[in-house]
Amino acid sequence: MKTPFSMLVTVAWRNLWRNHRRSLIMLAAIAIGLWGMIWMTALMRGMVDQMIDDAISTLSGHIQIHAPGYLDDPSVEHTIAAVADNPELDKLLHSPEVTAWSQRIRVPAVIRSERDVYGITLVGIDPQRERGLSFIADSVVSGHYLESVNDQHVLLGRKLVEQLETKLGRRIVILSQDPDNNIAERGFRIGGIYDTDLQATETTYVFAGIETVRRMLKMGSGVSEISLLGHDYRNVDGLAAEVRAVAGTAETSTWLQLDPYMASMLDVMDGFIIVWFCIIFLALSFGLINTLLMAVFERTREIGLIQALGMPPGNILLMVLVESSIMLLIGLLAGNLLSWLTLLPIRDGIDISAVAQGLEWAGMSSILLPAVKTSDVLLANGIVLVLGVLASLFPAWRASRKVPVEAITRIWQ
Amino acid sequence: MRTKPLLILAVLLIARHSAAESPIDARDIIRDAIDHYRGLSSYSELTMTIHRPDWERRMSIQAWSSGSKKTLVRVTAPPRDAGNATLVLDENKVWSFAPRINRVIRIPSSMMSQSWMGSDFSNKDISRTDEIVEQYEHRLLRVDEHDGHKVYVIESIPHEEAAIVWGKEISHIRDDYVELEHQFIDQGMQTVKVLKTLDIQKMGGRMFAVQQRMNILEKVDEWTEIRVQILDFDRQVPDYLFTLSNLRNPRE
Repeated sequence: MKTPFSMLVTVAWRNLWRNHRRSLIMLAAIAIGLWGMIWMTALMRGMVDQMIDDAISTLSGHIQIHAPGYLDDPSVEHTIAAVADNPELDKLLHSPEVTAWSQRIRVPAVIRSERDVYGITLVGIDPQRERGLSFIADSVVSGHYLESVNDQHVLLGRKLVEQLETKLGRRIVILSQDPDNNIAERGFRIGGIYDTDLQATETTYVFAGIETVRRMLKMGSGVSEISLLGHDYRNVDGLAAEVRAVAGTAETSTWLQLDPYMASMLDVMDGFIIVWFCIIFLALSFGLINTLLMAVFERTREIGLIQALGMPPGNILLMVLVESSIMLLIGLLAGNLLSWLTLLPIRDGIDISAVAQGLEWAGMSSILLPAVKTSDVLLANGIVLVLGVLASLFPAWRASRKVPVEAITRIWQ
Repeated sequence: MRTKPLLILAVLLIARHSAAESPIDARDIIRDAIDHYRGLSSYSELTMTIHRPDWERRMSIQAWSSGSKKTLVRVTAPPRDAGNATLVLDENKVWSFAPRINRVIRIPSSMMSQSWMGSDFSNKDISRTDEIVEQYEHRLLRVDEHDGHKVYVIESIPHEEAAIVWGKEISHIRDDYVELEHQFIDQGMQTVKVLKTLDIQKMGGRMFAVQQRMNILEKVDEWTEIRVQILDFDRQVPDYLFTLSNLRNPRE
């Protein structure tokens, strides 16, 4: 003999397919709702991940060390001792906790061609160390990347070259200030042109060998900043504390502090996803409640009859809940499958360069790489299932509260 | 026997000629032209005409120079521009005074290539120091004949690390050191602007380019012309002229 619950499940299952068109529409609604949640979240996550990635590779790194005051006034006067002069820091930077690091001289400067003048940031880099740390090594599209710290060439962004009306191989003049407030200027030949997703980056940074810049600015042995990468961008505080301990008077900041906009982006994202899920679910729940109410209303006589035959109201409530649960489960299954199928072809990114200019102000790039997080998928499924069952409590409760005599004597279906 | 002295003379002439020809140092010519233009010290009064397709504007200017670097330029008319002044002590030490805001502003060398008072001359053109002598490699391209004068055509290419954006500059300098033409050529070998001498007169005791026109070739029907009215190379130019306080409160 069947247990009452398995009997309920059987009955619920059969009830579900009595009006299969209505049930299929509801299933489709659930599936599409879930798909909307997962798909949209994957895109949003991808967008934010990429923004953070870009921000970190645009010279921020996970952790940076500066002279106190440099962040407020990034001038040539605010320098810190180079890594070679700080053995403790040197040791930490070579430990396995740090995946990449480099030191830079970074000063505001002016660049001049025959036809135009622009304000830029001149960055003196160690070309070998910069590989894997920032974007520049992989972004040179014509000419050559810098060869050494003494390289006499400069790297310009594609947009800046365009604005200056100059070309690869031509000379431009860069002008800045030395530590004694004298003007330091010299001509450089453009050795390479780099290309990034963000035009703002291309027009801001001009790269040269760190020793070349040091000579031009008549600086001592100091550097403007030391930048390093740990293993995980979400978890940098531990490493930052270690760096702070050996950095002496210098100021150690994480990328979350350097780029509060990006940092808050991460938090906003988590909140936004829940709000987004709830909005979709709200729309979904009206359909769900309506469908179940309809199903219960249709079966008024029948429910009255089985009540009269001795089924307790609690079981009727359970039966409706089981009906909605089965529907939700099948819908979720279909929704997950749909999400997986639609995310599969775009897992290498969607080219949205057509609207890239509009996205730029927010620091987004023109290739959108969806990022599916297990926690987001679980959250979406959980929300639909739990809130779905809760929403169907109302129709179920209505069904269980019917008075058998009235229900049976209802003459119309 | 009679032919001998003639022969010697001829040999001497040829020798002299070739001696005069070969050691012509382009760099010396450039330096001499600048010295000729600036003198040891000078005082001049000139008018500057800025011409644009739909308007034209004229300014009267006084200028003092001393040595190879120092220059003071002051606008005297029209009244709305009068008092504007520029002081040059060195390539990188240029100040400008605007009476309307009563401020002395140091012109950073990033702005040296920008327009001086809305004209086609840059701040650098106005200061005209001997920078060109040191920061360029000079080469004599050819010697032309013009109105019975020799004209040296000199190509000046900036040194690799010099803070100069031009690909090269070409100067046409007459044998009496009057500059007839100066072309500014970009690195694509396209001429960007040309300074042409339109009139040469004896003034201040020497032949001088009294009327010059600067033309930016990309702009049609736009030019700036300067015409020197008074030029005096002998006048004593005291050092106090080239001070910031004199820039702000003129004593002369």
